This record gives sequence, structure tokens and C-alpha cells, in this order.
Amino acid sequence: MSTPRPTSMRQALDWADRASMQLLMGAGMALLSYVFIGVLIFTAVASVIVIGLGVLPETVLMLRRMAGFKRRQVGRWSGTAIPEAYTPLTGTLVERVRKAVKDPGTYRDLRWLFVHIVYGLALLYVALPLWVIGVLVDGVWCGLLGRRAVVLPLLGRLADLDTRWSRALLKPSPEAERNAELAERVEELTVTRAGAVAAHGAELRRIERDLHDGTQARLVALSMRVGLARRAYDKDVTDPEAIRRLLADAQGQAEEALTELRHVVRGIHPPILTDRGLVGAVRALAASSGLEVAVRDDGVEDGPRAPAAVEAAAYFVVAEALTNAAKHSGARRATVELTRRAAGLRISVRDEGRGGADESGGSGLLGMRRRVAALDGTMDVASPTGGPTEIGVELPCVW
Amino acid sequence: MRVVIAEDNALLREGMVLLLTSVGHEVAAVAATGPEVLPALLEHRPDVAVLDVRMPPGFRDEGLRAALAARRQIPDLPVLVLSQYVEETYAAELLSGGAGGVGYLLKDRVGRVDEFLDALERVAAGGTALDPEVVTELLTRRADDPLDALTPREREVLHLMAEGRDNATIATTLVISDRAVSKHIGNVFLKLGLPPTDSGHRRVLAVLAYLNKG
Repeated sequence: MSTPRPTSMRQALDWADRASMQLLMGAGMALLSYVFIGVLIFTAVASVIVIGLGVLPETVLMLRRMAGFKRRQVGRWSGTAIPEAYTPLTGTLVERVRKAVKDPGTYRDLRWLFVHIVYGLALLYVALPLWVIGVLVDGVWCGLLGRRAVVLPLLGRLADLDTRWSRALLKPSPEAERNAELAERVEELTVTRAGAVAAHGAELRRIERDLHDGTQARLVALSMRVGLARRAYDKDVTDPEAIRRLLADAQGQAEEALTELRHVVRGIHPPILTDRGLVGAVRALAASSGLEVAVRDDGVEDGPRAPAAVEAAAYFVVAEALTNAAKHSGARRATVELTRRAAGLRISVRDEGRGGADESGGSGLLGMRRRVAALDGTMDVASPTGGPTEIGVELPCVW
Repeated sequence: MRVVIAEDNALLREGMVLLLTSVGHEVAAVAATGPEVLPALLEHRPDVAVLDVRMPPGFRDEGLRAALAARRQIPDLPVLVLSQYVEETYAAELLSGGAGGVGYLLKDRVGRVDEFLDALERVAAGGTALDPEVVTELLTRRADDPLDALTPREREVLHLMAEGRDNATIATTLVISDRAVSKHIGNVFLKLGLPPTDSGHRRVLAVLAYLNKG
């Protein structure tokens, strides 16, 4: 709270003007608070007869809004706003009422509200005669004689007082501040966890469908053919050719089922990830891509491995990107970079092709983006016409 | 033939022993975990080893590593590696020594008993047996390369050749004459810029080396 010393009469007047606006707003808020007491009484009565309990959280929110306005106003005058820390009023009505009642911020705000009615108005009452005296005294002293103003700056002092008292009353306790931070973090985690659970659910349904429609159906068909062959064998072996055909069919079905199972397994978690880890698996991808691929590993292979879901997504991204590069870009060379960061895994795939990769063009980009988003990751694609194409993916994880 | 089998799944292991003994092969030893494989191979020196890639204790690529280690100590030891899935990189690693007697097949192929036994014998005789799926991977996913110049028929011939089939088998499979097969093979080598090689295993290795180059 530093009040610069006004030197000229003009400056002194400007300064006093600003301070007075501040005090006037304070007094206005005090009057509003006075009216708000009516709302408080109504809420109290409504809450006592239980039916009106629903108004309570709304009243507390209004109170918070008023306190918030004062906090910002103090910030405008002094340069530093008063920090705010409330328990968010979320959940069912009962929870919201409970949170509103339990939040110590509610009582701090109430205390401020009543005290502020007094000092908000009182400061303005002091300021009014100061103006009259100030204009008379400083008009002569500063305006005519060129000395330093003495009375008008006192208005600034009054605004400083308002700031100091408001700060003392509205500043949240350190504990409340920490609680509010934690509450915010919990809120955030709840949202991301819900997203992760949904993504996991979708993945499970996809696997279930693949197994149900593909493998299971094939095994049923296979079992049927073996059954038919047995029946034919038991009843009459006059047509060995028919039995042979049924058995050949059955074997064909078994092979198809195995092929489908392999695809499903690859989709869940590519086996080479288990065998060789992410870097080894990416090197294998690079070797079979048909391109000359340089794989750079920045600390991923050493130290703990990323969670399986992250590794699988990273593998999927690199596989898709290299397939696109080999198929569409016309590039002969590509670079894959895997970087260990404190907050997660960074993957970058760059080819020296003709660029112009289009996300809406049915390329694998959309699938990549979905898979990355399911893990709360981000994906950037830069592919100007003429190349090069660079795909950067960040997957957050705890190593 | 004397065979050493390394397979951790008891069902598959017994099935394999049953299959091999029923056609007159002798199973010299079976290994159920990764660390048992190498000593068993060194002790029994089989005519051919049938190895599973993923074995305990780590359930990663112990079987493959054991195969590679065994071939460093006994360079011409024929190994047929079986796996639940095929990975081009593993094929490249197995073939990288340049010596023959290598097989790499999906486990599914065991179901086609005759073909499986044929592959096993080919490997034991110093030939190669690569899974069609590996070959398909080798032949795809490359942009503007000399393979595009091949006719569909020549591609089929190349595919079978890369699997390790001999001329007679290729001729039977594609229902063409031996002479036609030789002609197609000559064209393939010409178009890929490979020096003409005598028929047999070295030819396959030349083709695989070319395809592996990426």
C-alpha cells in the first residue's frame, strides 16, 4: 500500500478523486450489504423451517460474489488482490448445504459483511468533510503557494485503511487456502478419471465384440463341422469324401479363429512390447516399415517402463505414422524419437515426404488422435504441402 | 530324426511329442523353461530343435534367445522356432547368421501336419522354412521398389521361394511346369538385380537378404 506523494495540485486532486471513488464504492457496497441482511434473515428463517434449505447455497454463493467483488476492488487500489479460497459447492442439494455450512470462508465473509457496513459508511462520512477542508486549505497552500498538499492526500490514507481492514477480514486462513487447492485438484482428477474409465469401458466392449462376433462364432462353426463329421462317421462311412471335406472345413475354421485371435491380441497389447519393451518394439516397426528409419531413444529404454496402456498407445501411434509415411508420403526416410520427460512420454515421427496429410481424408490420423486422447494425451500434426510431415504426441504418465 | 522340444505349455508339448513320435521321430529331450533349453541342446545335439519363443521365467523371447545362443555354439544346429505370433525382426535375427537350417513358423501351422513335418525336415536338412505371414510382411509396405516390376505370377513364385520351398514344390503348388518355375525365378533375380545363384538354400538366403534390407 504505497501512496505516491502528490506534488502538484492537479495530481493531488486526481489522487483524491481516485481514493474517493474507492471509498464511494465501499460505501455503496456497505449499503448493498445492509439490504443483503434482509436476504440473510430470509434464508435463515427458510432454513429453520427446512423447506427453504435450497436457498442456502444460493445465498452463500451471492455472499461469495459480493466478497469477491470487494477483493478485486481492493486489488485495483493496492495492486495485489486478496486471494480467494472456498470449498466448491457441488453435488446434491444436501452436499451443497453441508459444504456451504462447513466452509469457514462462509463465516469469514459474514463477519466482513457486518463489519464492512460500519467502516464502509464511516470512511465515506470522514471523507466528505475532508474534501471541503482539502479544497479550501490545499487550494491556497498547494495551488496558490506551490507547497505540498497536506489534506487531500489523507483521502488516499482512508482508502488505504479500507484496504488494510478488508484484507484482514477477507484473507483466507492458510489452511483454507490449501484445502481449496486440494478440492480443485480432486475435482480435476475426478473428471480425468471418469474419462479414463469411459475409455477403458469402450476398449473392453470393443474386445468383447471382436471375440464374440469373430473367434467365438468360428469356434461354434468348427465344433458343428466336427460334430457333423462324427455323425457321418457313426452312421455310414459310404461317403468318406464328405467326411474329409467336413474335417478340412473344420480345420480351416480353426485356423481362421487363430488368425482372428492374433489380431485381437495385437489390438489389446502387441506381444512384441512384452518381449522387447517400447524401444525394441519401435525398432522392429522401423525395420519392417519399408523405409529407412532412424530411431532415437532419449532415456526411454533406461529406467522404469511406462504403463502398459501408454506403451501400447505409443506403439500404435508409431505404427500408424510409419504406415502412412510409407504409403502416402513418398518419403524414403523417417525419424522416430522417443523422449522420457518428467510428466510423461513424448513421441515424434517425422518423414521427409511430400506432406499434405489430411485428417479428414480417412487416414489413420483420427484413430491415432482418439487413442491418444483416451489417455489424456495431446497430438500435433504439422504437414504443410511439400512436406515434411511431423507428428508429435505427448502421453502423460508416471514413470 | 532326433528332436529336442522346448515348449512351456504342457498341452502343446505333449501334442508335439505325440505328433513327432507317431511319425517315427525320436524326442531326445523336452525343455519346459528357458534356462533348460541351451543345456539340453548342448547335451543332446539333436538333428533339429523345435523351440517356442515365449518361455518361463520371463515369458518374453527366451526361446528365441536360446536358439540364437545355441547356434553361436553349434553353428549348423537346425532350429525351428514356433510362435503364437510372427515378428519380422525375429526372422531377421534368426537368418542374420547367414547359415541355413532355420525355420520360423506360427504355431497354428502345426495343425497342417504334413506341411509341418515337411518344414521340419527341410530345416533339419539345412534349408529354411519361413511362415507365409512373415513373407507377406516382407513383401509389402514398401514404396516404389523393384518388387513392383514383378508380374503377379513372379510375386507368387518369390513368395514361395522366400518361404523356403524348392522348385518342385513351387511347381506343384502353382500347378505349372518345372521349366516355367525356373524361368520365373530367373526373371525375379534379374528384376531385383540379384546375381544368379544355384538352386537351393543359398538362393533363399539371397532373396531374404534382399527383402530384409528394407
